[in-house]
Amino acid sequence: MMPDYLQTEFEKILGREYFSKEVHPIRKKAYDNLLRKGLPNKKCEDWRFTDLSAIKSGDFRISEIEDGPKKDIRISNHGLESLDTIVIYNGHFQKNMSSVPKGITLLSNMDYMNNNGWSVEQPEMTSFDLLNSAFMDSGICLVIKEKTNIETPLRILFICSGNENIMITPRIHLDLGESSSLTLVEQHEGNCEEYFYNGSMIVNIGENASLDHVRIQNNSKKMINMCNLHVQQNSRSNYSFSQFAFGGMLARINLNANLIGEGIYCALNGLSLSNDKQHSDAHVITNHHGTHSTSSQNFKSILKDRSSGVFNGRAIVHEGAEKTDSSQSNKNLLLSQDAIMNSNPQLEIYTDDVKCSHGSTTGALEEDALFYIQSRGLDEASARELLVRGFASEIIDLISNDEIRDHVIDHFDQWINGNNQ
Amino acid sequence: MLNIKNLHAGVENKEILKGLDLSIKPGEMHAVMGRNGSGKSTLSNVITGKDGYNISKGDIQYNNESIIEWAPEKRALAGIFMSFQYPVIMPGVNNTYFLKAALNAKRKNFGKKELDAAEFLKIVKNKLNELDMDTSYLQRAVNEGFSGGEKKRNEILQMLTLEPELVIMDETDSGLDIDALKIIANGVNKFRDPERSFLVITHYQRLLKYIEPDVVHVLIDGKIVRSGDKELALELEEKGYQWLEK
Repeated sequence: MMPDYLQTEFEKILGREYFSKEVHPIRKKAYDNLLRKGLPNKKCEDWRFTDLSAIKSGDFRISEIEDGPKKDIRISNHGLESLDTIVIYNGHFQKNMSSVPKGITLLSNMDYMNNNGWSVEQPEMTSFDLLNSAFMDSGICLVIKEKTNIETPLRILFICSGNENIMITPRIHLDLGESSSLTLVEQHEGNCEEYFYNGSMIVNIGENASLDHVRIQNNSKKMINMCNLHVQQNSRSNYSFSQFAFGGMLARINLNANLIGEGIYCALNGLSLSNDKQHSDAHVITNHHGTHSTSSQNFKSILKDRSSGVFNGRAIVHEGAEKTDSSQSNKNLLLSQDAIMNSNPQLEIYTDDVKCSHGSTTGALEEDALFYIQSRGLDEASARELLVRGFASEIIDLISNDEIRDHVIDHFDQWINGNNQ
Repeated sequence: MLNIKNLHAGVENKEILKGLDLSIKPGEMHAVMGRNGSGKSTLSNVITGKDGYNISKGDIQYNNESIIEWAPEKRALAGIFMSFQYPVIMPGVNNTYFLKAALNAKRKNFGKKELDAAEFLKIVKNKLNELDMDTSYLQRAVNEGFSGGEKKRNEILQMLTLEPELVIMDETDSGLDIDALKIIANGVNKFRDPERSFLVITHYQRLLKYIEPDVVHVLIDGKIVRSGDKELALELEEKGYQWLEK
């Protein structure tokens, strides 16, 4: 059963004058496929532990021009001041507040499609990919040509604000040319009530290119944040992804990395911090198609109260992907008796001569470690904090940029002290 | 300094220490020797306040105060320190950060100004030299990837930095090669002081060749069955424990 609001809102989006009619065939095809496929339910293996009732029984509406900012917003309120920033406010690109560094071409979805002869493949693995194709709104395409080193990190700041059941569906393309490099920060902020974000980001990394991608999801606790991230890597490219998920009542990332060349490096990392009744979910797939590539998945969760989490990681080594070196690790810290974590690391190997490992641990803080710290004169609360901090820092310390790392540590400090929203 | 009187302690329904008496004066080095299962670990754990032990009878007094109700950190702040048999590995917890937090907790407790990173580093670098450790130790996570010898040296580094009054060394010699043993013994010997006491808990007398005890106790089945001078350790080495068992 498809929620009623999707039908009415779909008609509304087709009637939008400022969206090109040329995109309608893509929207309609995706919507038809979505109708056939339906939204996932708990019988679907990949959605067993994800409660989608807030989406199904919600009543969301697409964002109107009037949902844009009433006045100029202060970007400096969101930290990371030295970065170049693209602002997307309730699904509307804010050109006058954004600064795009030299070397990056910013295109609309339409121009991007035109440039690529309308042959851009729409990744449609899940119902939420289809939903994104059908409703895509804030279309931003970033193109960086070959041999371009963008020194200042670029941030896409998503501000979700307002309280009227808005649904936004950003579609971001990023093409990083051969031998180019970029640090991309995706930052999700805002004070909103029920709100449904279903964003897709489609990344193509050229040969020898290098992308550092940090995703900081600090949405309000009533928000649904569905992230669909599709990354394609060509030979000898580097991709490092680190997600820090603090917010959302339902936050899920569906991350697919396709390593289609040789000698690729792909490191996918995540840290989820949840409390109250938050649910944080990471579904991560790494596909090895070529030889001599190295990949890792390193995801951690810290859960308080009645929160829940999922890690579902798959590393697939396809036929012919010899000399693959792949590791997978999922570690979870339960700080409450009522918190629940579902961990499912999987390896699928269809070739010989590969090196693969995976592991998963879930548990409370170790009594022996607490005693050890207390025996050095620190009280129990400090001992706990030290261990939780240490657990998290293994992911946080992977951020190489000092300003971004300090920003994440600030959020972590607020979380650990119970001051987040 | 330490006075243990008729101590009965154990886990759940099992009594492990069955009326243990031990008295250590300031400046003394005592060794408690015993086989596995004699109650050595229980003894060190109940002095330092590890959870999970019942004390059914008797008392542990430190500087004339009963400490059996004290939390582990209170005992530590009062000057009790244990070098662990199995130091805990703490991934992601930086060694410097941990040690600085511990030292500052202690300084704060005594109303002293907390040290900043530079002041702390100056102190700890001197201690590192004494133990033939290089500064890379400080950047690593606590005990992560440390060899057996490195872990024990790290324990002694903590001891030298925190400057406790009563040091319990729990099987410090286990897993050490002879060079590491000498370095540690040297660190401990330099640290000996008329105001400072040691309780060395060990299975073998190997360590006692390098750290000379004033008194040696033999622990069998939860009780001290014999005490003597350092010659007793040699006698045990030669004859084993059997001749003291009933």
